[in-house]
Amino acid sequence: MTKNRRRSKAASSHDASTPESAALKDSVGCVSQGDMSPVSLCQAVLRKQLTEGMSTYRNSEKGTYLGEGLHQEERQLLDLLRRTATSGESNSVLVIGSRGSGKSKLIKHVIAELLLDDHIRENLLQVHLNGLLQTDDRIALTEITRQLKLENTLGDKVFGSFSETLQFLLEALKSGDQSSKPILFLLDEFDLFAHHKNQTLLYNLFDVAQSAQAPICVVGITCRLDVIELLEKRVKSRFSHRQIHLFNSQTFEDFIVIFKKLLCLDVNFPDQKFAESWNLQVEQLAKDPTITDILRQQFEFTKDVRALQQLLMYPVCQLSEMSPSLSVSDFVESRKLITMDSKSAMLHGVSILELCLIIAMKHLTEIYEGEPFNFEMVYSEYSKFAQRKSSMQVFEKAVVLKAFEHLIHLELVRTVDGAGSRVQKEYRLMQMLIHPTQILDALQKYPQCPTDVRQWAASSLAT
Amino acid sequence: KSSTCVTPKIPDRCEPLSSPSNVLEEARTRLHVSAVPDSLPCRETEFEDIFNFVESKILDGTGGCMYISGVPGTGKTATVHEVVRALHRATEQEELPGFKYIEINGMKLTEPRQAYVQMLQQLSNQKATPDHAADLLNKKFTTPGPRKETIVMLADELDLLWTRKQDVMYNIFDWPSHRHARLVVLAVANTMDLPERIMMKRVSSRLGLTRMTFQPYTFKQLQEIVISRMKGLKAFEEDAIQLAARKVAAVSGDARRALDICRRATEIAENLSPSKTKLSLVGMSHVNAALQEMFSSPKVVAMRTASDQEKIFLRAVVAEFQRCGLEEAEFAKIYIQHTALCRIDGLKPPSTTEMARVCARLGSVRLLLVEHGRNDLQMRVRLNVSQDDVLYALKEKSGV
Repeated sequence: MTKNRRRSKAASSHDASTPESAALKDSVGCVSQGDMSPVSLCQAVLRKQLTEGMSTYRNSEKGTYLGEGLHQEERQLLDLLRRTATSGESNSVLVIGSRGSGKSKLIKHVIAELLLDDHIRENLLQVHLNGLLQTDDRIALTEITRQLKLENTLGDKVFGSFSETLQFLLEALKSGDQSSKPILFLLDEFDLFAHHKNQTLLYNLFDVAQSAQAPICVVGITCRLDVIELLEKRVKSRFSHRQIHLFNSQTFEDFIVIFKKLLCLDVNFPDQKFAESWNLQVEQLAKDPTITDILRQQFEFTKDVRALQQLLMYPVCQLSEMSPSLSVSDFVESRKLITMDSKSAMLHGVSILELCLIIAMKHLTEIYEGEPFNFEMVYSEYSKFAQRKSSMQVFEKAVVLKAFEHLIHLELVRTVDGAGSRVQKEYRLMQMLIHPTQILDALQKYPQCPTDVRQWAASSLAT
Repeated sequence: KSSTCVTPKIPDRCEPLSSPSNVLEEARTRLHVSAVPDSLPCRETEFEDIFNFVESKILDGTGGCMYISGVPGTGKTATVHEVVRALHRATEQEELPGFKYIEINGMKLTEPRQAYVQMLQQLSNQKATPDHAADLLNKKFTTPGPRKETIVMLADELDLLWTRKQDVMYNIFDWPSHRHARLVVLAVANTMDLPERIMMKRVSSRLGLTRMTFQPYTFKQLQEIVISRMKGLKAFEEDAIQLAARKVAAVSGDARRALDICRRATEIAENLSPSKTKLSLVGMSHVNAALQEMFSSPKVVAMRTASDQEKIFLRAVVAEFQRCGLEEAEFAKIYIQHTALCRIDGLKPPSTTEMARVCARLGSVRLLLVEHGRNDLQMRVRLNVSQDDVLYALKEKSGV
């Protein structure tokens, strides 16, 4: 934390040029800033800010980004890790929270805080594992030995078998005691580790944490609330049942604060005058009724900060020399893009014949109350309409079948009993995956839709 | 053979550890599960039984089996280790002939047949493939040899040594019955009826009838365990220990849990105490907070902090369940309920894409159990919490 404070002080006094430019490069990334106008530089900074969330030093400085509620969790985790690092106490903890609630961010932040201490930085060994990469125990074990640099003790010997690796690792951990270096195991996507055979890895890690061997701290990260129930009883007994829960508990006011923070430029921006006027503009935007309305709608759907970042990305990307400020209409557009119904959008792209088939299927589903139908039924429904009521061309059966298959490929229609059934394709039972309201919506916007098709769709029970 | 000589090692830390500086830290080190005391309180009779069994076998120079069962955290492995320590002490004082102790753990093996490799390595420091190791062990145990000392073996997590042919279990229980083997096997597992349930007749008959069951700790025993670890240290109020013991005894009787709760309570007390120098005792409130943390279900809080649409979706699921009387509903039906509920609340009903997003989010935290998203409208949805919990969580919020 002291380093950050120093950095911000240097930036405000404008004397030392090196830390300032380093900080800037840090926030802009690899983009060279010499030949850039303030607008494009601002765009680059904001894009970075939106993809990575807030830069870490910023949130340790102001401390509000993680939300006031998270300070307690942060302190609890920090205390726990610090005790492992300094007094050699073994621990295990699970961090649980829904997707996008800042679990990894919290842990990254805590570790960064922990490593500021020189003693801890020299002593602490870290092992990062991810349930999506280490899909079974064998891979996980080789990864652990690699990250602990244990293979050096045997020269560059490649391990023979899985069991040898396990014995080797357990031996190594058993030979350690309180005086050996503490190890921090971070298991991301922890619930996937619980699906490994016999949960051998988890048992062994927790067992080491509960016995007088090398001091380790096992931190599991997961989004499943019921993850404890996945553990086998002896694994569960060895787990210390410490759980840190993260919830998106912010109110709408907090949400607006986050919105402002995501868009504001910080003190390290080279053109201070531009930054000031920009921040003023963001302040005004936050008070704009249209923007608050959009934010409220977004807030009603999800309090997830990551979704908010996605919402803000479109307006930021629209910035250019021509339009150097964020416009309200871009926010409206962005919200529209996010909430667009994918099925209705897909229906705009189908041909009139396919649309007729969909309407025929809609009628069939309504008449038979959700019972599955087959192609012959759809075809007879369609030909009844095409011959009697419409002025349209009546297509041959083969053409209609082709259109029907196209709908299956788009997954607007689904076979009831899997693709592998041996029934002829005309008689295969199907179900529609479009809701009637979506069809009516799509028809409203369909370009040049014939009137009789529209009427046919509106008549509830076609006879 | 050569690779086993090199002992891998975690590097040592740069400077020595800081020793505990205050009472609560001292208490925490003592309360850690790894700080196993020299003699386990409340397991004296079990200790006697196992000790006498093994001692008599060693004195007679015969072999035998014993099956020990009990739920996790009742001190099975710790008691056996204590027995072995006591026997070693007796040998040092030359009251007993010497013996060799080996240990295998089913959970620490990648597959059951690796047990042979482990046994061989611990007995003679040889390395071999499972088949070869089995042959060597067989030869060693069945033919008369110059070997004099008895072998005491602990087979922990026995149920994981199960194979379809049960050859590993069979061999482990068969070898002690040979005249020249002089092998004492202490088999440890969780379930009491394991021999009858999964073993074949010929395996369970070789296991014999020497059984022992470790009962879950009662609250008095748990209390005694914590007090014995706290001997000579004034860190806890009496009632606080009793509360922790009673709660744990009511749930599982797992000693690890009781120790973990007490340890967490010391942390809470340290955080809440006014200054670093003047620490308060760990009281009822601290233990209660720790219990809350470790036993409470977060689902109600998760539902309360969900966004508005997610709450409406949960209400729609409950409404649909009540309408059709089943515990499972199709996504399309819930969609209808959801739009109706949105209209009542005066909100704009969402599109199906957004609804599917909401549903997936609730499914990922396992408040709902959902099928694969590919089924789309026909996706079946179930609740992972009880309907009452949903109503309770959502009602309280709207009342505020």
